[in-house]
Amino acid sequence: MEEGDKDRNIRILRSGVFTPLRRWGTKWSLWPCHFVTSCCGVELAHAFACGFDGERLGTLNMGISRQANFIIVEGTITRKMARALRIVWEQMPDPKFVNVIGACGQRGGIFWNSYNLTRPSEIVPVDFFIPGCPITPEGLLRGVRAVQEKIEGRDRTTIKFKTAELPSEGGKGKESRLPTTAKIFAPTPLIKVDVPKEVDWDFGRDLVKSLKAQLGGLYKSITITDKNRIAIKTTPENLVKVVRELSGTTGIDHVKNVNVIDVPHERKFIVEYMVSSYSEELMPVIITVFTEIGREAEPVFPSLTALWESVDYSEREMHDFFGIRFEGNEGMNGKFLLAPETQTPLRKDFKLEEERYVLEDGVPFAPKIELPSDLKMPVSEELLEEAEKSDDFVVLVGPHHTGSGHLRWIMRLKGDLIVDIIPDPGYVHRSMEKLAENRLYIQNIPLFERANISDPFNMNLGYVRAIEKALGIEVPERAKYIRTIMAELSRIGAFFYDSGILSLFTGHSTGFMYVWAIREMILEAVVRMTGSRCTPSFIIPGGIRRDISDDVLNMTSNFTSAINKRLRKFEDIFIYNPVFIARTKGVGVLTREEAIRYGIVGPFLRASGVDYDIRKVEPYEAYDKLDWEVTTGDAGDSLGRYMGRYEEIKQSLRILKQAVDAVKRMPRGEVISEEVLGEYREASKDIKGHLFHAYGNLVLPKGEWTSVTEAGRGTLLYSIISDGESNVPYRVRIVTPCWMNLRGIIEASKGERVADFWAVYGSFGYFPPEADR
Amino acid sequence: MIDINTVITGLGIAGNQVSIPLVQQMLDLLPEIPMVKLIISFILWKPFFAALICPGFTTLGILLLFFPWIERKLCGRIQWRVGPHEIVWWLGGIIQLLADSLRFLFQEVIVHKDAHRPYFLQFPFLTFIPALLPLMFIPAGNIVAIETPYAIQIILAIICLFPLFILGLGWASNSRFAFIGTVREAFMYFAYEVPFIIAVLAMIVLYGTSDPVGIANKQTIWGIILNPIAALTFFIAAAMATSRMPFEIPEADQELAAGPHVEYSGIAFGLIYVLCYEKAYVLAGLMAILFLGGGSGPAIAGLGDLSGVIWFLLKVVIVLTTLFALRTIYPRYRLDQGLSIGWGALLSLSLIALALSIVLVQGGVI
Amino acid sequence: MKKVTVQEQGLGEKVVRHATAIGVAMKESVYPLTATVFYPRERKKMPDNLRGYLMFDPDKCISCWECAFVCPANAIQMKAAPNERYYPTVDYGKCIFCHFCVDSCSGGALKTTKIHDVAYKDMDEMLTLTEEMIEEPEIIREDKKSVEYVIDEHDLHLKRVREVDTLFVEVTPPVEIPMVSQCIDRASCIGCRVCEEVCESGAISSSIERGVLRMKIDTDKCTGCGLCVKECSMQILRLVKK
Repeated sequence: MEEGDKDRNIRILRSGVFTPLRRWGTKWSLWPCHFVTSCCGVELAHAFACGFDGERLGTLNMGISRQANFIIVEGTITRKMARALRIVWEQMPDPKFVNVIGACGQRGGIFWNSYNLTRPSEIVPVDFFIPGCPITPEGLLRGVRAVQEKIEGRDRTTIKFKTAELPSEGGKGKESRLPTTAKIFAPTPLIKVDVPKEVDWDFGRDLVKSLKAQLGGLYKSITITDKNRIAIKTTPENLVKVVRELSGTTGIDHVKNVNVIDVPHERKFIVEYMVSSYSEELMPVIITVFTEIGREAEPVFPSLTALWESVDYSEREMHDFFGIRFEGNEGMNGKFLLAPETQTPLRKDFKLEEERYVLEDGVPFAPKIELPSDLKMPVSEELLEEAEKSDDFVVLVGPHHTGSGHLRWIMRLKGDLIVDIIPDPGYVHRSMEKLAENRLYIQNIPLFERANISDPFNMNLGYVRAIEKALGIEVPERAKYIRTIMAELSRIGAFFYDSGILSLFTGHSTGFMYVWAIREMILEAVVRMTGSRCTPSFIIPGGIRRDISDDVLNMTSNFTSAINKRLRKFEDIFIYNPVFIARTKGVGVLTREEAIRYGIVGPFLRASGVDYDIRKVEPYEAYDKLDWEVTTGDAGDSLGRYMGRYEEIKQSLRILKQAVDAVKRMPRGEVISEEVLGEYREASKDIKGHLFHAYGNLVLPKGEWTSVTEAGRGTLLYSIISDGESNVPYRVRIVTPCWMNLRGIIEASKGERVADFWAVYGSFGYFPPEADR
Repeated sequence: MIDINTVITGLGIAGNQVSIPLVQQMLDLLPEIPMVKLIISFILWKPFFAALICPGFTTLGILLLFFPWIERKLCGRIQWRVGPHEIVWWLGGIIQLLADSLRFLFQEVIVHKDAHRPYFLQFPFLTFIPALLPLMFIPAGNIVAIETPYAIQIILAIICLFPLFILGLGWASNSRFAFIGTVREAFMYFAYEVPFIIAVLAMIVLYGTSDPVGIANKQTIWGIILNPIAALTFFIAAAMATSRMPFEIPEADQELAAGPHVEYSGIAFGLIYVLCYEKAYVLAGLMAILFLGGGSGPAIAGLGDLSGVIWFLLKVVIVLTTLFALRTIYPRYRLDQGLSIGWGALLSLSLIALALSIVLVQGGVI
Repeated sequence: MKKVTVQEQGLGEKVVRHATAIGVAMKESVYPLTATVFYPRERKKMPDNLRGYLMFDPDKCISCWECAFVCPANAIQMKAAPNERYYPTVDYGKCIFCHFCVDSCSGGALKTTKIHDVAYKDMDEMLTLTEEMIEEPEIIREDKKSVEYVIDEHDLHLKRVREVDTLFVEVTPPVEIPMVSQCIDRASCIGCRVCEEVCESGAISSSIERGVLRMKIDTDKCTGCGLCVKECSMQILRLVKK
């Protein structure tokens, strides 16, 4: 805002005898305008839902900056988001306050050396910092209390440490050297995506044979890399032909992943597409079609968008990360996920700040961050001109909007109808893939979990399963069942999270509160199991960190029946409410073919009639030993998607009940595989004390290890590329369900009415941090 | 020296006093200080009492200060939480709205660059005209400021002005969300206004008069029992008019970020925030008169005329509470659905209600 | 496979559903299933394994640096104490409370507390030095009651107890797995003495016998921290069971 404009504003009774009244009023009327960018937003919702009810303190949630006087920054402020934060802060009337909750907004937490991170304290003046990752609801309310006390004139930190004497006896009295880093990097690693592996898989051998016959001279090699995994090497020129052949004859119909691997010392990029099929027998098979191209400033590569629209956004993402130009993709001008000023960050020569293990001069270490210089968040001029010409109305929804989630939707409206929506994601892009290349395998567990903390166990499970697959570890039976319990709890939690958001989007705050009470029960079970409400980091390669007590098992078992009472009320007031049905039925319909073409996954795909659930197709953990059914539907509309998921949750409760009963019957014993622990096999009941010993030097065999997991919102794919020497992954590719579903949201909303967008958006359970990673 | 009684009689306020037997003796015992007696007589003069105390300014003010609190507490309760509480926790946070209004009062009012400054600032104040004027015609019991046989029609006419001011707010804001919200408001306005007027008409036909006091007196059986369809139509139209759930379409927090109000801050927003409560108050008063027998009810001993006032207020609060509790029960309709309900179901209902009234009148039920 | 279909609601069903929804609201307004914890006046009881603020016991610390190495957020950095040993400091502006450090601490020197609600007015204060982690910190508390969540077969209940919950818990020490460092290939030793310099407990000593450098590992003093193994330039040290 320029200086001259400020004068237009009106200030009433700014000082004088009214000061006490003004203070008192402000103290009890802190209306927060949230910056729910990522994880902490989940806990924020808990703080303001029925579990803790922040409204008690007079803090009424108000999403509109003009009417709020308090910003709570919940989570990461990325380079793109920094602009929004500054703008919103300037839009707010005086007096205003800012609290930053969660480690991301302080010194960065687990994302401390991310290239896309900024610090809110450098953008706006901050009153209080609340540590945690995420904070607990109590922490958030403590922050509100602290601001209230600050208004009263008591500005203080709410913890006081006592300083004790450190031992001074027993110096070594010799020259000493400080240990260097725990990380081992191979200087010139050999990167191979198709390392052959002997597996017992007859179908695969036949498939390879038929593929070889079919592809003729188009391929260079076809390798079986693991069970259900085939890699086809080809040339850049032939890639499109190979893929066309696969989609035509073999019946491959969708892309699971688009990935690029930078190998600077060999001056090449490896570009790979992981393709698969929804036809019965090919379901579990993932075929990696890859090729190598020269490592130039802006190499050109043929795009597959003409064949499969679902690769569109992933190709744009790779363009952002590596600067590869996919010829034929429309989004190759400008950035998609990243801020305009960022340069191809996933190339290996883009270095991140290294860890420091020694505290120097008592100054907490945090890398320097250059803030974006201007506040502009540009929208393409062409779009505006074109809209002007065709008499469309362009509305920018988000990134800070009560119903946008943290991305920006550029809507083109004709009257009340949506002509087109252009997504502008990346406001929560925390660069997980880059960070993962700089962390030990074990350190990546908490990192990936933060992709989606409303579904944390599944995020863990996917990554850990990829590692276990690479190492060939069998997990102890008890741990398998406990992991199943955790995964299902997490799935139920994710569903209720989305239900709450959908009910808010349709304007029903009671529905939100009711499901949050149920979530509060789930989190209580999780905190008693793991010690953390939302970010358990509990599943580790080979098992789980420690066994869980019988009390908690009983509680979880009780939960499966206790949920019914509150769920029935939720059903009556929300799910079967005629207004809700009217809002969602027949809205945003995707047919089976469309759903596959746009690449949507998980329960949303099943709602369009595709019977694909990884828990059945490629069973993991204890799913094949339990009795449950896959839920599908035909409608493919918002209501169908929602009800399909709801039915799925009932199945999840069934699984949960059976799994808990099974664990209760099992004798207590090891929960971590002794194979992975090696010398430390005594720790197989509880990893306490030996985590780093056992896992610090974990090295994966050479090759690419892909795991697919059915997360709460669909197919979650992890692909780890290891060089076989380093104890850090060479590259980790995560494809989250929400990222895949983004296209579905856009396509389903086109042609619908403005208000329908929220019904579609909510029904897809879109969770921006998961999509942006 | 002029005799004060002569003045009072001369002003014509002597015969039209609110009589409260319980405090009458106390009033009589007041020392014969001329001015005090004059002031008291003036306050108790029915038209003045109606305008200033009930159902006028004072009641409205108290209601605005406490009703949002009641609403928030009730919603909190239905939603398994508590609502505003900690401010004075032993009273359940009853003065929450005082804090909110003080905060708004002392906050900066931002007038953004694109706004039309004079209108942007005038409209929040101007909207008080349609909000307050109808109160002159609404009787609490038998106390009314302006008595006219056309009171109901005048009230309707003034209420119909309301959306114009909201359109003004949206227009002066000059923001995209405000624009969409304003357009939606305009659409909804036509959708509910017609059935609303027909429903009221049905009741006027039924009672054969449009004098509110007369209507109230005629209701030996309440209007809601005589013509429940009109009552339902009126209630739904009132929900639409005050943009309550499920018809909170123009404001639609999650879609339009509060629509027409999006750019307002500070005391300007404070005024708009209470606007829908004012409108709801007027409509609830009208509903109490038309369907719930106005101020009728068993006389409370010793309160005289105030007895009617209390019954009236009680009914108003019940209607308001029901109206506001809707937001805990329903999600929001889409604009086209809202319109089709207005022009379709609601219009048919109102016509049926009118027919029913005619049948009842012809049948000699009333 | 289970197919889900949702039927259009008929007029009759719509009326019933409207009535049920209104019925639920009316019932809840009279007898609500309130589940609110009145923080800050009362406090929810957290389980003892809650991953909260850290406390540190220098007597149990063997200065193995593993907490710093395993910390995914680089929140733990080591600082020299007067006795020339290195002890951890925690930067709560980075800490993500994953407690990988607690699970890596083989001596049990790091332990958890149930403190999790703190507000700092300044980011620099968020760095907690070793000497501040030894004694129990004080936080501002306004709670007089504690609330426990009880989930029985029917519902979630809030059990309120008129007592102030203690935030400091006793924890069981980890399983001891005694390890020592051992040289597996003495002939390859180049005598760079990195192992001796890096050893915090002085278990490795060197002596020159007849012009040849000989390294000696004292198995009694060795804590099995593995620093020498990690730093050995020839990678000839291994950890083995004692």
